[in-house]
Amino acid sequence: MATCMSENGSERKLEFFLKVPFPSEREAIIALQSLSPDPEPRKGGISKHLDVSGQTLSVRWTADEARVLRVSVSSFLDHLSLVMETMDAFGPPVSQ
Amino acid sequence: MTVVIGFEGSANKIGVGIIRDGEVLSNPRRTYITPPGQGFLPGETAKHHRSVILTVLQEALDEAGLKSADIDCVAYTKGPGMGAPLVTVAVVARTVAQLWGKPLLGVNHCIGHIEMGRLITNAQNPTVLYVSGGNTQVIAYSERRYRIFGETIDIAVGNCLDRFARVIKISNDPSPGYNIEQMAKKGTKFIELPYTVKGMDVSFSGILSYIEDAAHKMLSTSQCTPEDLCFSLQETLFAMLVEITERAMAHCGSQEVLIVGGVGCNLRLQEMMGVMCKERGARIFATDESFCIDNGAMIAQAGWEMFRSGHITELSDSWITQRYRTDEVEVTWRD
Repeated sequence: MATCMSENGSERKLEFFLKVPFPSEREAIIALQSLSPDPEPRKGGISKHLDVSGQTLSVRWTADEARVLRVSVSSFLDHLSLVMETMDAFGPPVSQ
Repeated sequence: MTVVIGFEGSANKIGVGIIRDGEVLSNPRRTYITPPGQGFLPGETAKHHRSVILTVLQEALDEAGLKSADIDCVAYTKGPGMGAPLVTVAVVARTVAQLWGKPLLGVNHCIGHIEMGRLITNAQNPTVLYVSGGNTQVIAYSERRYRIFGETIDIAVGNCLDRFARVIKISNDPSPGYNIEQMAKKGTKFIELPYTVKGMDVSFSGILSYIEDAAHKMLSTSQCTPEDLCFSLQETLFAMLVEITERAMAHCGSQEVLIVGGVGCNLRLQEMMGVMCKERGARIFATDESFCIDNGAMIAQAGWEMFRSGHITELSDSWITQRYRTDEVEVTWRD
């Protein structure tokens, strides 16, 4: 997982990037579809975008405050590790 | 044959159950129990669920003697309930549905209770009293909806009991309601509490405030025992529930009552409801704690009915919701 944090000069938004490698593109897509349906609990102040490129899931957050960003990222990482544990225990995916 | 696996984790119980055409193949469950005086908070509860859900899932498959390939549909609780625990369970349900290549189905938790109660008791068209830590509703089926005839206008009856248990530091193991029920058996003195039925609805928050205050005053001066308070609280709350259930039955011309939800396994509530039913020539249906209290099989059973009538939930629509009323669901599986 590679992460970095930067502050966008013009809008003064916090940003956070996360890249997660999976064994295959299929598993990366499964993770994307398991983690993306639930909207952020709070209205406004934060947005999160998930994408898959090859076998990598990438997530990008933009937030107004570090406090809000921390909660969202932390919660996402909890869910991500649960998805990975589920794949280890009940995978690999059946052939389509 | 249709096999549905159900995931439930909307409150402090986490359960996974498997149903095959009305037969419960497995239904393991864990409960997050907090120390006396403390309730369960969303974040801590979700952490508990994350730590055990995969073990419970494996148990459900092993007990049923099934492999993932034998499952036809993966059902999970969409709501109502606490957000963080609901998401935790939904994330696992979505992942296994995709790993196994099976359709996903979001189920209304209240509908799960009703359908499980109907399956276990064979009640045909009952007036339903749904009483738990988060919900208090009197429900009757009419024209493809489970319609809410009466409900709490503030906190749930189980929440009132749980919070009273915290005030006088009753153990949460196995559940505060169970321990109140046992203590109430030893109560001898009835302390009059507010009785708040408002038409078809009930209100419990004022009763809780009143008994909290009374507990501090009367216990310190030995005017009553904790057992007397448990007894008085149960008698008052349950009398209110029986009253609104009876009124709903009279309105619908119903001769059956089904009690579901965690508070529904309270034998004193069942007894009081039984007296009312006997007077009306009606029948009472209830289940024991394995099916009254939140469990995975109830989500599997409601899921089974929904799946058989053609429902599935697309992944993009599989978001959870903390608020999800019983009457929002179109009941396509009943006449």
